[in-house]
Amino acid sequence: MYLKTRLLLLFCFFVMTSGFAQEKFTLSGTISDENSNETLIGVNIYVPELKIGTSTNAYGFYSLTLPEGTYTFEFSYVGYQTIVEQIVMTSNVKKNISLGSGEQLEEVVIMEKSRANIRKAEMSVNKLSIATIKKMPVVLGEVDVIKSILLLPGVTNAGEGASGFNVRGGGADQNLILLDEAVIFNSSHVFGFFSVFNPDAIKDLKLYKGGIPARYGGRGSSVLDIYQKDGNSKNFNINGGIGLISSRLLAEGPIVKDKGSFLIGGRGSYAHLFLKLADNDNSAYFYDLNAKLSYKLDDRNSLYMSGYFGRDVFKLAESFTNIYGNSTFNLRWNHLFSDKLFSNLSLIYSDYYYGLTLDFVGFQYDSGIKNYNIKYDFKNYISDKLKLNFGANAIYYDFNPGTITPTSNKSGINYRKLEEKYAFEPALYLEAEHDVTKKLSLMYGLRYSLFYRLGQSTVNLYANDQAVTYNETLKIYEKGKPIGTEFFGRNETMASFDNFEPRFAASYALNDNQSVKASYNRMIQYLQLVTNTSSPTPLDVWTPSDRYIKPQIVDQVALGYFQNLKDDAYSLEVETFYKTVKNRIDYIDGANLIANEALEQVILNGQLRSYGLEVLFRKNTGRFNGWIAYTLSRSEQQTPGRTATEIGINNGNWYKSAFDKLHNLAITSAYNLNDKWSFGANFILQSGQPVTFPNGQYQYQGITIPSYGLRNEERLPVFHHLDLSATYTPKPNKKKGWQGEWVFSVYNIYNRQNAASINFRQNTTGANEAVRFSIFGAVPAVSYNFKF
Amino acid sequence: MMKKYTSLLVFLALVFSFISCEKVIDVDLNTAAPRLVIDAALKWEKGTDGATQKIVLSTTTGYFNQTIPKVSGATVFVTNSTDVDFIFLEAVPNSGEYICSNFIPVLDETYVLTIVLNGVTYTATETLNAVPSIDKIEQKDNAGVLGTNIEVKFFYTDNGLKDDFYLYRHQLSTYAVPEYRVSSDDFYNGNQFFSRYSNEDIKKDDTIDFTLSAISEGYFNYLQVLLDIAGSASGGGPFQSPPATVRGNIINTTDSNNYALGFFSVSETAHVLYVVQ
Repeated sequence: MYLKTRLLLLFCFFVMTSGFAQEKFTLSGTISDENSNETLIGVNIYVPELKIGTSTNAYGFYSLTLPEGTYTFEFSYVGYQTIVEQIVMTSNVKKNISLGSGEQLEEVVIMEKSRANIRKAEMSVNKLSIATIKKMPVVLGEVDVIKSILLLPGVTNAGEGASGFNVRGGGADQNLILLDEAVIFNSSHVFGFFSVFNPDAIKDLKLYKGGIPARYGGRGSSVLDIYQKDGNSKNFNINGGIGLISSRLLAEGPIVKDKGSFLIGGRGSYAHLFLKLADNDNSAYFYDLNAKLSYKLDDRNSLYMSGYFGRDVFKLAESFTNIYGNSTFNLRWNHLFSDKLFSNLSLIYSDYYYGLTLDFVGFQYDSGIKNYNIKYDFKNYISDKLKLNFGANAIYYDFNPGTITPTSNKSGINYRKLEEKYAFEPALYLEAEHDVTKKLSLMYGLRYSLFYRLGQSTVNLYANDQAVTYNETLKIYEKGKPIGTEFFGRNETMASFDNFEPRFAASYALNDNQSVKASYNRMIQYLQLVTNTSSPTPLDVWTPSDRYIKPQIVDQVALGYFQNLKDDAYSLEVETFYKTVKNRIDYIDGANLIANEALEQVILNGQLRSYGLEVLFRKNTGRFNGWIAYTLSRSEQQTPGRTATEIGINNGNWYKSAFDKLHNLAITSAYNLNDKWSFGANFILQSGQPVTFPNGQYQYQGITIPSYGLRNEERLPVFHHLDLSATYTPKPNKKKGWQGEWVFSVYNIYNRQNAASINFRQNTTGANEAVRFSIFGAVPAVSYNFKF
Repeated sequence: MMKKYTSLLVFLALVFSFISCEKVIDVDLNTAAPRLVIDAALKWEKGTDGATQKIVLSTTTGYFNQTIPKVSGATVFVTNSTDVDFIFLEAVPNSGEYICSNFIPVLDETYVLTIVLNGVTYTATETLNAVPSIDKIEQKDNAGVLGTNIEVKFFYTDNGLKDDFYLYRHQLSTYAVPEYRVSSDDFYNGNQFFSRYSNEDIKKDDTIDFTLSAISEGYFNYLQVLLDIAGSASGGGPFQSPPATVRGNIINTTDSNNYALGFFSVSETAHVLYVVQ
């Protein structure tokens, strides 16, 4: 009943606010590339007479409602020629636009022409086009979506070769990574050296670091929204690349000309490449497949079907096999109820699988997570001043924490299946994008999310509901001993949560080129990544909130100043943020997390806070362009004792999280020499990762044990490297048939031995030593890309 | 049990980053004030009377110091459940080694350790656990993760009626330090299982000194953290779990905040000396 009342209130609000538009006409349509019919996301539509505008949504759709009259419309997009048209608005007008990819412009504008968004309330958002990402120098020449976002302010990771990324001091598990709306649980190949996204199959990406719109939920810190290409519905073409690590091939073309298209792409690394070991069955490789079908039924309906499948495979002799990866499948239906009401219905499946076989102990371990998501989103373009986004979605989760199987009948391992976990997460949202005056724009919304942990399961019960007990005399945390159990049947609710998640953003334009913005968001994360290491490993296990593990509650406020300089040639974005996370889990010392059926016995609830200042200065135009991103920030964690007598973790003190980077400077630049040659350079300089060094040693049973003081008091040496790339296009004017380009790059050109870790160990002679482990020295690479 | 797979993953990561490099470097470290360390692992080897036992007292010292400071002048004794005291005396002055030659080990008996040093009293309690015998030893010459190492497996049969915890100690004759690992019967309760020892330095005619100890759950938890810290003691790295002070089962009854490091354990052990074929 309670829920129904809330729903009704939301609905009333929507109906009331939608009753305003009168004596006005609507211009709407889809904007696409004239060569491929690929829809374009974020194309600006601007009416100079009224100084108002809008932009296309994730499906290339726009709608703008204006009073009767004749207006000039400017349709502009990065790397495309701007179209200017006079349109008489005496009735509703349907206008699909094809933008030409303006070759003359391209040599001038390589980076996004991304003037800072002055009027929109949206802040803390970074967009990167795949064209930009492809120009960046990267390690081993492997174009990498995740590595490219590390060059943005407020984004770091736990170091070279560490998977995942950290946004504004949040955990790597707090990023919602979406590929065509499907959740990707692990974004890395080869333990983080490469990312799972095939750059050829990707159209665009958008990273939300704060002020997160109400349509997103489920993770605490950020949303990385990645869109796959739809496929070319005009011409068949193939493109690909040959690199040192992997090769790629992608084909796209029309099924029905101008209406339906397909795209299928694959990427595979070379087996044995990493392991220069003779006469062995060792192999290590990864591959992924992307596929998409798009079909435009009529002016009001489009269907999309897309999928992803990726795996990493490692085999070492007969003894060790490790396979893991994501797969996703989704079906989407775009429907226009009217020229003002856009809708999208999605059915999404995604899963993550992890399998490990250890033949030398006769042990096989399989685990994974599956989810089924139904999602219905609406966007109502009520007037030029008001847009409403609303919708609902529901996700059903099936977690397999682990199945342990003996690999032969000789094995001493017993078969064991850890209890599967089920959960259901429905949510509703409503959000307004509201231009209150010419100067003031607001975005305000509310998400209402629910979470049900479902049976079948047997839950342990503990005295005082404390699954972790504190040993007062030894001053250590210990696993609680269950005093009983409670059985829950299939689909019975074992624990439930519901939360309102308010979202708010405001922008106040000081003039045409300057604005200040503010935002607040609350995010609830019902899934927890169970890991005891500083960055995700493929072995990490996701677990739902339940009786003992509470959902993470994240609050973030951000303030920003935005300015465009010299006719948009330069832009400056300065933001500051403060973020807190409640119910951030921490682990008691010696916690074993793998195949642990009673995780609650090793978990303590802590908190996380982070704050910082981000500066992004871009040069948007000219032969030489790029950006400087600097972040000054702090990220700290605390797990205090639950009572006054308990010591907590790290004596209850705040300590720096593993991804605290006090200073982080990234400079990215591109220089276009001529049609044939262009160059790119990246420079990264950041504080070393926080670490704990020993403050003593002692002997126990013939071995040396280092002893430690407080956590993360030291830092690794400063981390920096400079990377260069050169792209050579032998026949730049060739637009048909075989077109090729060479990309030469050197990562870490001055061969800085950056410390990935410093290990303290007793060597085989028994003496203690400190060992620096560095991953990449100077790494040259070459790759060849082609299309025809 | 999963611990060693984590280290395997670390190893894998190293293999993959074929351009990676390791270098011994100088690091300036702070040194905390010295703290008492109690190394009191009493072991009763199957087939012996277990009368001679040793407890070592020392302190922490700077990480790169060559010598470990010993602690003399302590009163050390172990008491059984019938209040019999077994006295440990420092046989060689200033050695920090306290020896008892009349200890009486009894299975499932509970023992209390008492140490008095400079007017401060430390106590700890532990029960003696029974260990299975070593059933057989198998050697394989093309084993190991890369298929080029010698591997030796020491088999034993777990007691299916209770949860058991084990400590493995392997000492290769050409190594200066032993290798320890802990294991719980979680995955092999009641079955025959093994401790596997393999590395690239094992050669024909080397000896491997193997000891299997039955340990308590508390000691298992302690060693799991301790060995993790000793093995991959680290500043950072993607696979690193955060290092911390490891508290054992020793209580300072005079001032509980001034705790001692180390552990008091009492185990039955099975021991074998294997000559590599």
